[in-house]
Amino acid sequence: MTTKLAKTALRNISRNKRRSVLSGVAIGVAAMAIVMLFSLIAGMQVDMESNLKSYYTGGIRIRNENYEQYERFNPVHLTVDAESVQKVLDTIEEVDVYVPRTSFPANLYIEGTNFGAMGVGADFKKEADFIDLAGSLKMGHLPENGKNEMMMGAVLARDLKLEIGDKVTIMSTTAARGTNAITLEIVGLFTFPVAALNAKYFWAPIDRISYFLRMNGDTQEVILKVKEGVSELEAAEAIKEALKKETSINYDVQAFTEISGTYEMIEMANTVYTIMAFIFFLLGSTVIINTTMMVIFERMREIGTLGALGMHGKELVRLFFLEGMFISIIGTFIGVTLGIGFTLILGKTGIDFTESMQGIDFEISGMMYPKLSISKTIFVFFYSVIVASLATLIPSRKAAKIEPVEALRYV
Amino acid sequence: MKNKIITILILLSLLIPVTIFAITGEEIIRKADEIQVFETSEASGEFRIKDRFGEKVSTFNSWSRGTEESLIEFTSRAERGQKVLRTEDELYLFFPDAEELIRMQGSMLRQSMLGSDVSYEDMTGGKDRISQYDVVLEGEENVNGNECYVLIMTAKVRTVPYPKEKVWIDKETFLVWKAEYFTKSGRLLKEMETLEVEEIDGRMIAVETRISDKMKTDTETIMIISDLKINIAIDDEMFSLEELSW
Repeated sequence: MTTKLAKTALRNISRNKRRSVLSGVAIGVAAMAIVMLFSLIAGMQVDMESNLKSYYTGGIRIRNENYEQYERFNPVHLTVDAESVQKVLDTIEEVDVYVPRTSFPANLYIEGTNFGAMGVGADFKKEADFIDLAGSLKMGHLPENGKNEMMMGAVLARDLKLEIGDKVTIMSTTAARGTNAITLEIVGLFTFPVAALNAKYFWAPIDRISYFLRMNGDTQEVILKVKEGVSELEAAEAIKEALKKETSINYDVQAFTEISGTYEMIEMANTVYTIMAFIFFLLGSTVIINTTMMVIFERMREIGTLGALGMHGKELVRLFFLEGMFISIIGTFIGVTLGIGFTLILGKTGIDFTESMQGIDFEISGMMYPKLSISKTIFVFFYSVIVASLATLIPSRKAAKIEPVEALRYV
Repeated sequence: MKNKIITILILLSLLIPVTIFAITGEEIIRKADEIQVFETSEASGEFRIKDRFGEKVSTFNSWSRGTEESLIEFTSRAERGQKVLRTEDELYLFFPDAEELIRMQGSMLRQSMLGSDVSYEDMTGGKDRISQYDVVLEGEENVNGNECYVLIMTAKVRTVPYPKEKVWIDKETFLVWKAEYFTKSGRLLKEMETLEVEEIDGRMIAVETRISDKMKTDTETIMIISDLKINIAIDDEMFSLEELSW
């Protein structure tokens, strides 16, 4: 009996091709959009984590024990003895790569006016193993350690009408809690994936910054990445212990998930993304349910005829259920396949949000690369088929209860 | 009738000294300004700056000419070679590692000097406060055993660092023992107190002063002047921009 119904259902689908194609396309487009949105959101989550690790906190961050407590007062004097810390890090197997960094607020003195910016002191030789700084250069070259040079965010340089070869005097508070100024030459303009970094930051050799800020060779922090498969939380604990044992100093060692503000930001972003995904998911489901129900409501006359010809209520329900299921399987399959295809293409080429991300202080790249999640894609496929099939039940059950004469009145 | 006239005459005679010798707020301020101004001066000194992170000492040498020109050169290790030049209209900073002079203006003047409770703005403005403030003699008070006039000064111009000041000036020496600086709405911004004085060339000069920025928590700056020489020969070029860069 079911085989007969299945055959009838397939025949019904092929009999009115236009109707079947339209409802299949609607289901397919919704499924494709959901797959792509999930991929985009997964891409954003990975991107944010990667940016935080590369440009802000590392996988693990080592700072002076009291730095976080006084962070809002810019405590430049609360430093890390980078040399002794790095010696200890060399002995820890879990550590993949580390770099010393010093971030500081600065005023750029340009033609009599001060412009606020953020400076980063970095060891450009070591950074090569940590992030692709050279690849982020839009123009010029990387500053050389030991020289009064800087590279500046391309957007910041554009805003301040500066270019390569210009000299900029920067002022900041020193570790001696006084003021100092130094003139640095712009030798490179960078475009990092994070828009906020390009609009606010300049990078200079850490040895010159340490001298300028009177840090006596120390740095504000050492950040590091751990080897593949190593838990950052466990590694942070091991590093803290090793540092205490070897240097007798109690450093603040935190995995990026523990860092106040950072983890909350990831959590918050994930919540926002989940809500966005849910809303879109709901919209997609509505499209599927709406399309399926409309198709059946429009066929009341046909249902009446089938009833008049002797088809029972349950058979009618099963018939439309099978019709809906077949259409949704085909539509969803095509939609999901297209979604996977587009995601894979965009995953390589990226989606450029650079212009619209300007001025947004959030650790998301201007260039977004969707990331395909196989489990979520499989879920979307089955979900769409089930929702579409179940959506047939409501109108078909209703139709099945109507007397054939009554059903025939629908035009 | 005769008695009445005598009584009136006596009363009038009692009033005469008050009217003739009563000092006005403006005069008190003028005298206080005068004792602070020298033809030229040279001094060395130090800032003892206390904040939430502890105490630090910055030493300096300074030179001044008249009311408008002064030069401070820092000699302590962390700031060695940094200079602050004040000319008639401008304030310039020289940093040994900067290839240009920094002219302080606008909001930059509100920045703290060396992290102390003294802002660059505190160093601007002429010492002729009469033309800049309306002065009201509010009364008299004793400050640490010194009889003082209490004056309220309200700014007439917008170019002064503080819209309102309350100062306690010694009735005899016209030395400022204490001062409070307020916003226009009356919020206390800074406090200044003279801790030590020295008589130089017949004038009482404050050589140790405590300044406290009330917008910060737990901070104070003690400025100590030592080895003050006045009316000495100073090179004319001392206060020029060219000299500052050398």
